[in-house]
This record gives sequence, structure tokens and C-alpha cells, in this order.
Amino acid sequence: MKQDAFQARHDAEWTALDQWLAKRTRPAAKQRGRDADGLFGDLEFPAMYRRVCQHLALAQRRGYSVLLIDRLQDLVHRGHLVLYRPPPPRWQAVIQFFGADFPRLVRRHGRAMGIAAVLFFGSFIGVIVAMQYRPEFAHSLFDASELARFEAMYDPANADARLGRESGSDVKMFGYYILNNVSIGFRTIAAGFFACIGSVYVLLFNGLFLGGVAGHLTAIGYGGPFWRFVAGHSAPELLAIVISGGAGLQLGMALIAPGRRSRGRAFVEAGNDMAKLALGIFGMLVFAAFVEAFWSSIGWMPDPVKFGVGGLLWVLILLWLWRGGRGAAHAA
Amino acid sequence: METPEGIALRLRAAGMMPRAAAWAIDFALRLAVLWMFGIVLALLGDLGVAVYLIVLFSLFWLYPVLFEVLHDGQTPGKRAVGLRVVNANGTPVGWVPSIARNLMRTVDMLPLFYGFGLVAGLVDRNSRRFGDMVAGTLVVHVDNPHGHSTAPNVPAVQPPLLLPAAEQGAIVAFAERARQLTPERQQELANLLPQLTQARGAVAVQRLLGMASSFLGRQ
Repeated sequence: MKQDAFQARHDAEWTALDQWLAKRTRPAAKQRGRDADGLFGDLEFPAMYRRVCQHLALAQRRGYSVLLIDRLQDLVHRGHLVLYRPPPPRWQAVIQFFGADFPRLVRRHGRAMGIAAVLFFGSFIGVIVAMQYRPEFAHSLFDASELARFEAMYDPANADARLGRESGSDVKMFGYYILNNVSIGFRTIAAGFFACIGSVYVLLFNGLFLGGVAGHLTAIGYGGPFWRFVAGHSAPELLAIVISGGAGLQLGMALIAPGRRSRGRAFVEAGNDMAKLALGIFGMLVFAAFVEAFWSSIGWMPDPVKFGVGGLLWVLILLWLWRGGRGAAHAA
Repeated sequence: METPEGIALRLRAAGMMPRAAAWAIDFALRLAVLWMFGIVLALLGDLGVAVYLIVLFSLFWLYPVLFEVLHDGQTPGKRAVGLRVVNANGTPVGWVPSIARNLMRTVDMLPLFYGFGLVAGLVDRNSRRFGDMVAGTLVVHVDNPHGHSTAPNVPAVQPPLLLPAAEQGAIVAFAERARQLTPERQQELANLLPQLTQARGAVAVQRLLGMASSFLGRQ
């Protein structure tokens, strides 16, 4: 068939598809409900799209002009984007994710999470213990001005002040914690890309830093206000750091040891898990920021309540990570 | 790239220059929004600071993800430049790949000015930065390249034989570039195709330009 005849025969279909696509790819609010008027119904779109696919194949095979092929290519690509778009997200999926998928994902990468936990808690507890015997160790971790700042923040002498704050109200600190902590979590994950090195560094650094502060304050007798402040939000925050480290480690492993996959393939799979873990970490850190800003800073609460709530959160979160999504049918 | 319909779909991956331009537009836009929020929220005291910090966080981390997923793979900057983020198989980008590629921005930004991303993009065949590799995504051009061809408008000449699309494309590309070439170079190139033009020198050039016109559907 000559190109002219081909074009003349099918031009109406192409124009219709073009207009339908133009209508359908407008913002969702405008298109809801009614079929694109005057064209063809939505149910006919797949058939229409496949016809144009066939036209494109024919045009390529018969060596029709570049312009025609480009026009059909454009139609097919736009149709492809509409036909194969992901289903709109549902709220149920969010519950499903935090209730089951996220804990399951953490357990699936149990080894990376375990290594991250050992790196972080190992350095954290190691430094705290070391400082009880060798308090001067603090001076090799921090310089004098930093130490003075930590000491001022948790000085038992002004115990009626708000805990753990130099200045600033709860709500302001909430914003600060969101920006700061979530950014650190996300960077920890991405840092694992370079063969795990970045994540290992961040885990060790945070372990030493936080352990150093805790150990020093405990050693000089300022432990009371400090532990009262951190008890509440320690569980979600520290576990989120460990999980982001683990997520970074599994990403780095895709580079070091992709196993029986190509590196590209391994990266895409690891990247997929990484993004999901990042979503979960985001949730945990927002929760931690909330607790840290509005609960941890309350000064007058008696110790048993403070430490009770902190311990309860540890138990609940660990239980959630350990049992969440178990037993329920695996939704693929 | 092959679709489930058995069609070979050609996606034109965007190079680093248009992507940098899109990023610059996005950056300016975000800065402007932040600045405006800053002015309004400065009046609100501590609550304002909290909202400001959360806005800063959203602009940095959520802005690209939300736009890419909810707006056909286009942030405002990408829309202005005519780019779109798609999965490697040409389907619209979803939440998980979009989060992955924007998390990896942290890596691509290193050591400074998107250094790693730039190097990766220049080395990779589809100019993907690390984030695109991890997420399995591509940044492609949206607009149709031959829609407004710059080929000279000369009367169409029917070619003596039927040419496959790639060869037609080569002739159209020759016509589009003809203005940048000296007449001698044009003739030299046209002389490479004696069977097709059945002529030499300036006549061959004119025939090739005519064929390009006919491939472009001009009369």
C-alpha cells in the first residue's frame, strides 16, 4: 500500500486517539467521571491503542516516511504511558505497608540490619562503658567547648528548666528534628551506595558521638536529666538509624556482591527495597521527632513514667519489627 | 525498548545539559517559594520557624518525588525544558522508583555540583546518573523531534528506491544540517550516494534535499 493511501485510511483513528490522549492526560480533577466527549469511550482505548501499535509496526516495516513513523511513535508512547500507569495509591496500602510490609522487609534484610545494629550499638555501648573507667577519654572525642555545651544542656542544677534544650519551644524543635533527623536518615541510606563505606562510617560516627555524650554526662554525674530526656524517643530514633544503616549496607552489597545477577539488576532490586525502607524510616523518624519535641522535654514527669514509657516503646517497636506481618497472607 | 505489543518504542534519553537546565529552574523555583514562606512565617514566631523548617524539608526531599509521581514524571523545571522521568520500560514512574532516584541525589551531588552524577551521566549510554541506575529510570525528551524540522523547504523528489527508516532518518539529518556545511562538503557527502541520486555535485545535493522533503511529508 502506498503511504498516502495508508495515511488517508487511518488518519481519522490517529486524530481521535491523539485527542483522547490529550483529554486524558490533563490533571486528574478535570477528567474524572465522564468519558472524553465526542471521541470514543475509555473502554475502547486499549483496542484503539493496539491498532495504532500495529499501524506503527506496519509503517516501520514498509519503510514509510520518518515523519509518519515519528507521529505514530509519539502516539504509541503517550498511549503506553496511559495504559501502563501504576494504579492510584490507596490508603489501605499505607496501613498494609506499615503494618506488614515494612517489618517483613526489615526481617528479609536481617543480616544487613544485624551488622548495622552491631556497628552502632557496639560502638555506642562500648564508649559508654569505657568512659565510666576512663573519663578523660571524653577529651579525645570532643573539644572543650562542645563538652561545655553538653554539660550546660543537662545540668541538674537547673532541673526545672526544660530538658535537653538550649532554647526554643517544642513546636520549633519539632520542625528542626524533622529536617535534621530525617535528612540524616536519608543520607545514611544513600551513603551506602559506595560499597557500604558511607553507611559504616555514619553508623560508627553516630555510635561514638551519642555514646560519647551519654558516657561523659553519666561519668560526671549529669546522667539523670540526660537519660530522662532521651528515654522517650530513643527507641524509634536509634532503631531508625540502625535500619537506615542496614538499608545502606544492602545497597552497597549490590555493588560488592551482586550474586547471580548483573550489577545493574542487583542495583534496581536493592534500590527498590531501599526506597521502601526509606519510607518506613521516614515514618519512624517523624514519630521520634514528635516524641522528642513534645514528650521528652517535659521536665516535671516522675522518673518511673519517663523510663516506663521509654521502655514500653522499645518493647513495642521491637515487637512490631519482629512480629509485624507474620501470619498474614503474603500480599505480593 | 520493546512494549508488550511487540513494538520497538524509541525513547530519546536526555543529556546532561537539558537536565541541568531543568534542575536550575527547579532550584530557582524552590528558592523563590522558600523565600516567600520565609517572609510570611517570620511574623509567626516559633510556630513560623517550625513550619519554615518543615517547608524546607519538603522542598528538598518531597518536591521532586511528588511532582514526578503525580505530574506525569515532570517537575516544573522538567516541564519547562520538555523532559520526563519514565521507568526503563517506558511506563510512568511510580512512588518507589521516584523515591529511590531522589534519595540517590545525595550521592550524585557529591563531591560538589553533582560531580558524580555528571560523570555517571556522561559515561552511561542513556545518560543515567547513579540515582537513575538504582531506581531503573530514564529521563527522556517529551517533544517530537521532527515536528518542526529545520530542513530547507525544497520541492519533494521521490526516491528511486524504498529506504528503511534509519536511512531516511540519515538523509533528513543531512538536510537539517545542510546549512551548517560548506557547499563543497555538501557535495562531497552527496557524492557518496550515486545510486540514489543518479547525479553528482550540486544536482545530487538538490535531489537529496528533495528526498528529505518527501520523507518529511512535504509536497
